Amino acid sequence: MVFNEGKRYFVDRRVIDRMSATGSATFASYFARLRGDLQNEVEQFINAFTINETYFYREDQQLRCLTSDLLDERVRSKKRGQPIRIWSAPCSTGEEPFSIAIWILENWRQADAHDIEIVGSDIDTKVLEAAREGIFGKRALMRLTPVLIEKYFVAIDPERWRIVQSLRESILLTSVNLVEASQTRAHGKFDVIFCRNVLIYFDDASRRMAAENLYENLEPGGYICLGHTESMSRISPLFEVCRFADAIVYRKPLSDGHG
Amino acid sequence: MPLVRSNSDKPGVDRAAGDPRAALLSGSPEQRWTAARRIAETQAGAPLLAEALGLEKDARVREAIFTGLASIATRESALAILPHLRSDDANLRTGALDALRMMPDAARPHLKGLLGDSDADVRLLACDLLRDQPAADATEMLIALLETESEPNVCAAAVDVLAEVGEASAVPALLHCADRFPSDPFLSFAIKQVIERLRPPASLARG
Amino acid sequence: MADDRKRVLVVDDASLVRLYYRKALEDAGFDVAEALNGLEALEILVAGPVDLLIVDINMPRMDGVTFLKTLRRKELPLASIPALVTSTEGAAQDFAAARAAGANFYLTKPVSQAKLIEFSSLLCGRPR
Repeated sequence: MVFNEGKRYFVDRRVIDRMSATGSATFASYFARLRGDLQNEVEQFINAFTINETYFYREDQQLRCLTSDLLDERVRSKKRGQPIRIWSAPCSTGEEPFSIAIWILENWRQADAHDIEIVGSDIDTKVLEAAREGIFGKRALMRLTPVLIEKYFVAIDPERWRIVQSLRESILLTSVNLVEASQTRAHGKFDVIFCRNVLIYFDDASRRMAAENLYENLEPGGYICLGHTESMSRISPLFEVCRFADAIVYRKPLSDGHG
Repeated sequence: MPLVRSNSDKPGVDRAAGDPRAALLSGSPEQRWTAARRIAETQAGAPLLAEALGLEKDARVREAIFTGLASIATRESALAILPHLRSDDANLRTGALDALRMMPDAARPHLKGLLGDSDADVRLLACDLLRDQPAADATEMLIALLETESEPNVCAAAVDVLAEVGEASAVPALLHCADRFPSDPFLSFAIKQVIERLRPPASLARG
Repeated sequence: MADDRKRVLVVDDASLVRLYYRKALEDAGFDVAEALNGLEALEILVAGPVDLLIVDINMPRMDGVTFLKTLRRKELPLASIPALVTSTEGAAQDFAAARAAGANFYLTKPVSQAKLIEFSSLLCGRPR
């Protein structure tokens, strides 16, 4: 992660929060705690910095691209019985992988003809817990119609809704550090990866490493979607750029490199 | 429902069995790419990656080898990358530069040497490495270069880096450089632009 | 934007070089787009072709030779866009590599603005 002067307030606040939470009177004592990883402080520290604003059907032009173009393309390459695998990484509190699931069920004509595995992964263990709970507030659901909410959620009180159990259980949620090949590799190969609005927070070296890891996690011809303002051009030359009606996405070539 | 929960103990990508050196030097491009990444997981992989780099023709495999050497980031991996700054192959030259930019600490001991290299093309590429060094150090080294550099294109590279990381202390050297190459059309333009950026305007009020 | 204005894509990682070319090209009546390397250039070109490419050789992530090789393998009209290659490298083998990759013309830096316009006009037709 990279922070310039403009992010100083953001960083200061989070360090102060952790110092307060751990009862550290001075930065030196907090830093010692962090270095020694006392009571899992490294994980807590990482969690404090990786909060994302997210909601259902965010950047839906890419979801549209998924069901209009990407999945049909991928289906051409699948053998009988092979599931379609989609990765949402990072998945944050679950809005993205659940959005992908709901969108596919609602919009992909071929959905019933295939097995679809959706995996959501994040470095932040707290958001993963929240995703497993599957409880969301008004803000997260603001782009969903009442019909969709009725269909896929159960109201647990006037302000909170929970994803229906069958959907919650059908999505695997795991922890991953995208920069660590040993962790990404363990997730297998995917047809489509959503990696939106996270690489911008990495330094150049980490970004390049993460892109290379994600390349390994794609089937030949598989697609990766970045945030709609992001580009691979400063990150990695491994992928081919593809323009579809709804979005620009990147693809792992079907055959090996041209040297 | 077509959604199927992924098997959480699904095995990942198969670990390649057999001799990593063989896979890296004589497998298919996909095998060589995978082998390069595996070998880069330990520092001991640097010599093998260095060997492969000299032979590899596939751009994606080269990229993985460079990434591997850059993530190892030792003195040895830097030494493996440096000779390729001189390559006739543009892909190798720029790949080497990108890799060195990923490892600023390991690259730092070599900067003075590269900026004083007898090959102007190497000096030119070396200027780019200063983008990742602390601004004060970068400015100091670029000023020193501008004072003595004989090739205007190398000066132009230095000026472009100063545009990004330079400090106001570079202005005298920039002015002097413009005097030394009055007939270079681009250099005059570039120096004027950078001086305007580095030097605060005398008056903020403009008509 | 008038339909008869020629569109040029300047591909160079040095922002000052792109600015220098942009000023000359716009004064001469061209429309100018910019990319900082071959990857960004390919991303711009998937949205639609241009009339001329001005491509530097040494760029991060994807150099000019690799970019041209990649472009020349694509379908028309992208594959046949005229490409003026610029480089600080003056040696014969660099010119040969660029030509083999699909360069239409090669100029050694520094390129004067007058020369840039002269060869740009030659390669894609004089702008109105």
